[in-house]
Amino acid sequence: MYQKAFLFNGIGPNYEKLLAKLTPELTEQFAVLYAAACERLHLNRDIQKNTGYDAKIAEWLVPFICDRIIYEFCLSRNILPDIGIGYSSGIVSASACFGAIRHEEAWDIVMTHRSMLRMLDQQNIELDTGIIIGFSYNDLTELFRNTFSPEELVIGSSNSSFHIMISGKASAVEKAIELCTAEGALKAFRLHTGTAFHHAMMQNYSYEYIQYCKQIAYHKPEYPMLSVFDGNILETAEDIAGENQRNVYTQMRWDLALKKLESLGVTEFFDMSASGSLSRFSRVGRKCRIYTFEDICS
Amino acid sequence: MREITEAVKQEIKEMVFDYYAEECETDKNAITEDTNLQEDLESDSLMFVELIEMTAEKYNMEIKLQSIGKYILKTPMNTMHDVLEMFYKIYQYGDDIVNQ
Repeated sequence: MYQKAFLFNGIGPNYEKLLAKLTPELTEQFAVLYAAACERLHLNRDIQKNTGYDAKIAEWLVPFICDRIIYEFCLSRNILPDIGIGYSSGIVSASACFGAIRHEEAWDIVMTHRSMLRMLDQQNIELDTGIIIGFSYNDLTELFRNTFSPEELVIGSSNSSFHIMISGKASAVEKAIELCTAEGALKAFRLHTGTAFHHAMMQNYSYEYIQYCKQIAYHKPEYPMLSVFDGNILETAEDIAGENQRNVYTQMRWDLALKKLESLGVTEFFDMSASGSLSRFSRVGRKCRIYTFEDICS
Repeated sequence: MREITEAVKQEIKEMVFDYYAEECETDKNAITEDTNLQEDLESDSLMFVELIEMTAEKYNMEIKLQSIGKYILKTPMNTMHDVLEMFYKIYQYGDDIVNQ
């Protein structure tokens, strides 16, 4: 049985908000690790001095390193996971924190996203993701059924009964936002990611990412993980490799994964995101609780 | 339509003010009906969802978020007064708030 689950967030949260939440001691740790990552990836450690694709990569690195620091902070407080799960690129963070890959390899994986962005630009393909608040997976599936083809737009992740990430062609995302707003979304907005994360079409633009994920030497993770894609428990190096390889282009069911964790006995969820971004859109049962970094500190 | 008394209104007001004070890390006494949700509290829609869920649970109601979304389209939520008025209507009309 599992009791404590660690939740790893990936690319998504505003990096300035993440950094603002770190304690002075953790900020120092962040600076050291971020500098090391920037040196490896030939980025400027001053985030705002990076330009073009590098600017995005420099921002996307921040949550990876923050998650790692919070994870290590939990361990130092003797809060240990029984199981972990990654949300999107949080899979990479979880894999690194649980020792299935090296942290340096996690940074390299972030870097492979650059070729994704470059390829989309070269082919003049405008993609995006968006957030719809106030609709469930079934509500949106029904609403989109006769309006969008799966090639245009899909649900990239069902996060909870009221929080959905959509993904597809930028024009379709824009149209979906207008439609959902008219149909009663509490909020609907574009994320301007420039990619359609968790849409099947991303397999066409993720060659470098997939190849890199295939060539890494994976190890058995120190703690098991749960797949955000199919709810299977991942215990072997091969399992972790598979979860990473299909990450970018496969639909996530975060909502169902959390329910699965509850059914496995988890009652305590620990959000590794410094700003508690996962806990804000996740919902768990009455007998469960999601602890944020602030909770852990207090 | 469910009758709403002054006592229930006061109870809802306390709940809403307590919630925003805690979530926005603000002194409850500094919140008034004129307080602006965005400019003064920097609140967001996820806080709003949680408050709706709390209200539904407290008063044993089934509320579709889309009904509230459609109501907000007609009646934007800018100040705490707007929020209170909306929660009074949620209590009274439930999902039928969209027709109010």
